[in-house]
Amino acid sequence: MPPVNGHALVATLLPSALLLLTAAAIALLGWRRPALPAGFHRWLACIGLLGAAGGALITLSGLTRTQGLGLVTLQGAVVADRFAVYAELLLCAVGLLGVLGAGTAQPRLHRRAPAFHALVLTATAGGTIIAIQWEMGMLLAGAGLLLLSLTGMVALEKTVPAAGEAALKQLAGAAVAFAVLAYGLAIVFGATGTTDLEATRGLLVHAAGLEGLGLAMTLLGLCYLVGATPLHLWLLQVIRGSSGGVAAVVVSLGTTAGAVALVRVMVSGFSDTLRPWVILAAVLAAIACLYPAVIALAVTDVRRLIGLGVSLQGGLLLTALLGTGIGGDHRLAGGVVAILFGSTVFALASLASLQAVGLLEAQGIGTTSEGLRGLSRRAPGTAALLCLGLAGLAGLPPLAGFIARVLVAESAVAGGFAWVAVASLAAWLLYAIPVLRCLAALFVEDDDAPVAAPAGYRLARFVATCCAVSGILASVLAGPMLYAAQGAALSLH
Amino acid sequence: MILSAQFLSSLAMTAIQAPQFILAAASTTASATASATASATASASASASASASATATPSLPAVVPASPTPTAVPSSTAATATAVNFPTILFSLLIWGAVLFAVVIVLLPDRTREQRTRIKALGVAGASAALFFALWAVETQASNAAIGLGGRPGGELMEQRRWLASFPISASYHLDADGLALGLILLTTVVFFCVAIAVWRNDRHVKLLSIALLTLETAFLGVLCSYDWVLFLIFWSLPIAPVYLLIRAFGGGGERSSRVAMRYAVTALVSTGLLAVAALLIGFEDGTRSFDMGLAPLTLPATVSHVVFWLCTGAFLIAMAVVPLHIPLLDLEEDSSGALSAVFAALLPTLGAYGLLHVSVGFFPAISQSYSLLFAVLAVISVAWAGIAAVRTDDLRRLVGHIGTVQMGAVLLAVAGHTTLAITGAIFLLVSRGLTVSVLMLVSSLIQERTRRVRISQIAGLAWQTPRLAAFWLGAALSAAGTPLLSGFVAYLLLFTGAFPAHRWFTVLVLVGVLVTPVVLLWAAQRMFLGASRETFSKVRDVGPFELTYLVVLLAVIVLLGVLPEHFADLFNNGASSILFPGTSG
Repeated sequence: MPPVNGHALVATLLPSALLLLTAAAIALLGWRRPALPAGFHRWLACIGLLGAAGGALITLSGLTRTQGLGLVTLQGAVVADRFAVYAELLLCAVGLLGVLGAGTAQPRLHRRAPAFHALVLTATAGGTIIAIQWEMGMLLAGAGLLLLSLTGMVALEKTVPAAGEAALKQLAGAAVAFAVLAYGLAIVFGATGTTDLEATRGLLVHAAGLEGLGLAMTLLGLCYLVGATPLHLWLLQVIRGSSGGVAAVVVSLGTTAGAVALVRVMVSGFSDTLRPWVILAAVLAAIACLYPAVIALAVTDVRRLIGLGVSLQGGLLLTALLGTGIGGDHRLAGGVVAILFGSTVFALASLASLQAVGLLEAQGIGTTSEGLRGLSRRAPGTAALLCLGLAGLAGLPPLAGFIARVLVAESAVAGGFAWVAVASLAAWLLYAIPVLRCLAALFVEDDDAPVAAPAGYRLARFVATCCAVSGILASVLAGPMLYAAQGAALSLH
Repeated sequence: MILSAQFLSSLAMTAIQAPQFILAAASTTASATASATASATASASASASASASATATPSLPAVVPASPTPTAVPSSTAATATAVNFPTILFSLLIWGAVLFAVVIVLLPDRTREQRTRIKALGVAGASAALFFALWAVETQASNAAIGLGGRPGGELMEQRRWLASFPISASYHLDADGLALGLILLTTVVFFCVAIAVWRNDRHVKLLSIALLTLETAFLGVLCSYDWVLFLIFWSLPIAPVYLLIRAFGGGGERSSRVAMRYAVTALVSTGLLAVAALLIGFEDGTRSFDMGLAPLTLPATVSHVVFWLCTGAFLIAMAVVPLHIPLLDLEEDSSGALSAVFAALLPTLGAYGLLHVSVGFFPAISQSYSLLFAVLAVISVAWAGIAAVRTDDLRRLVGHIGTVQMGAVLLAVAGHTTLAITGAIFLLVSRGLTVSVLMLVSSLIQERTRRVRISQIAGLAWQTPRLAAFWLGAALSAAGTPLLSGFVAYLLLFTGAFPAHRWFTVLVLVGVLVTPVVLLWAAQRMFLGASRETFSKVRDVGPFELTYLVVLLAVIVLLGVLPEHFADLFNNGASSILFPGTSG
């Protein structure tokens, strides 16, 4: 058990507190000063996110004085270790990119922009709470805050019927997922007598039927967050119903926080020696990889294609989960590193592709294959962004998604699940086919329809470009990124 | 954080020192050759005796030279008089030079004629840059080859830097090239240079075409230079999207183009998948916990060795488009426009052949030799099938495609022969084949474009209107036939001489099958160019100065290889011996 530090409370809770406080400030200002421009709230949200990131870095500097050992406080409920710092920085970065790139959603959000930015901060806070928690109650609190915030963001576009419907369905799905997670944790609590996730590692040595059910339900609940099949429908609903800017934030924040939750709960908490959940995870991972890839073969709408791609990424994260323990050669299998690197890269790809969809909406272009025909001539910049985003989702080289897939397959093989690695590779091959068709529609097929170029959204376009280009930069800088991820992963073992 | 700083600083150091390296390269190379001679005498004599014994006796020698442990840190092995070792980046410049031009093209508009001309000029410039670096690398290594240094991996041009080190199976940025790769690098850069000129007059999808061609060139060169599995897979799968888009954009149009492009994409994806599984197996089973490809031969458990061997061989045979896997490539060549069909026909199967020789034979010499009979049978089937199909076809481009398949069958025979001489001949043949098929495809496309006919039976008497076209066709046909003083002669001579001792009857059968090549090509020439001229073709233009630019370049290289084969013989021979006797790097 890492040593207790007197400053641990501040260090661990600082990022979450900053986010919540800033969210409250934005909400208050939005209520009291409705005439403030949307840009004001956006920049305030950015300050909050940057502040939270700074808080995480302060925590990191504190950890160097403790030789990297975690700081535990609140009677073991929360911990600040390198993994938490990595997760917090990642979530803040995703939130920041999402906020800055959500300009195209402004016409739909209208006066509800303050609420949107506040909800981004609360969703990020939910994710950071998940990152620092070591206890079931804190986990449920963080997950609940995250799910409610994500649903709220979608519901803000309620004036559009599709968005309202998506929000209702998402609320129902999130409620079911939360309930499954809560029941699963309750069963584990009943079996072990403790809500401390780390303590369950030693207590659940032999998972009998009921304990196995609890573990399975916990895993299923977490699958919802990462958007893995069979709980991936919320992704498709959100991406179909919401505007591109809102969908980008909701999907990327949700799946990134889901990845963090997977690691915190299933690696820090439950041991990989518990075969029932590992076998279930293997089967789920294989299905979660192959199902969306097969379905995508017949898809002609780019929104649906992106949604299935994000779901496939969730399957890849589950695949990497299989390699989070000790491999066959008694070394770490590298699954946590693969999850951390993968979730970073996948978030960038999701942001890039959905923000490109937002730009398409702003320019009045449809997202079906008919609407995308000849886009490279009508709107070359948007076409390039969409191309890079889709290529990142598909894992086409030289984008970092390809490296992430190699690492995921490696970790699965190291964990003794080579067949799941083969399934993930097969899914990669299958998903590439509809993406190639989409690229052909963008760059090859002719269409002379004129494009209306709106005056604004330069910031959104710039952010989308950064996200798209980052997919290539991450390939070059994969070494340092993996080094950082490894540092985070080692703090868990 | 420290590692990221080290990584970035090493890149910065390399960038700063690169100009100084370029200026010092000429003197460095000469002094490196002189100073390395003394230290390399033992290994040179060992390799010379090994290759001599392999030439005289086709079977593997009893003693394989010990394999030195490859270094995992960047090293420049040039012991120079200046006593300053600059890290070499020649291969990096070669690979990434073209794509840098592609990145610039992405940012340029292409609405007006001038803008499109600018883009085309950048495309040619990118191809020229790659050709420049390729000639530099090849000449450097060719001059070192005479003393047994050039053409082997681990030489002075090798680049190796840490990349994905923080993972169970580490990957590095490892670039190197042996004689086989260098020969194909020369072929690739020459073909892309000529194609970049050949597409100058195209005005459709200019940006897409330029970017795709430069990306393809980067991908092909990357495959040839990669010595790490992750890097290899990245470059191996990189051409899928550009080729798909090029077929859709420049194909015959409609459903057929879509089908052809998708079929190519599926076969390429399957090939990539097989290689990915093989790479994972190698990474986990060979005990080095590294994806490095410079560790041949591999020491894997017996069953795993065979599985990996067949995964790799299957992937590369798909890419080589040998019978019965040749139909997608033939459709690709037939459906694409002229210059693109030259790239696809000349280079796509060549990459497969490179993989087969470099990986399947180089990493698993014993296993590949144990299956030599199978390769010989495949060779005969390929040659026979494609030869008969070539005789029966009436489509001009399909004819050239079948000829290419026949020559790939001959390469399979070299694999079956498993001698240094045969592999050297295969390297010559791959280069010769690439150049010959390029010329034939370009000429075919020009004929089809100008006569608006695709069938040989519909064309006659063209020699009166297009004597230069006829001359180029005949030149390429004679090279494909193995006429002396042209590149095909040296290739076939070495290949059949090297393969004969191991598989006599199969060699004879393949030789007979290959003889179909000149028969078919000359018969097609007779039908198309000779005979009474037709009124329909009275206005057909011959090739002008523009077309001569790239056709002459290709033919000149064919003649150069035929007249001066000794300039490359040592290089290719060292490459062949490093494939058959891995671990003898200098």
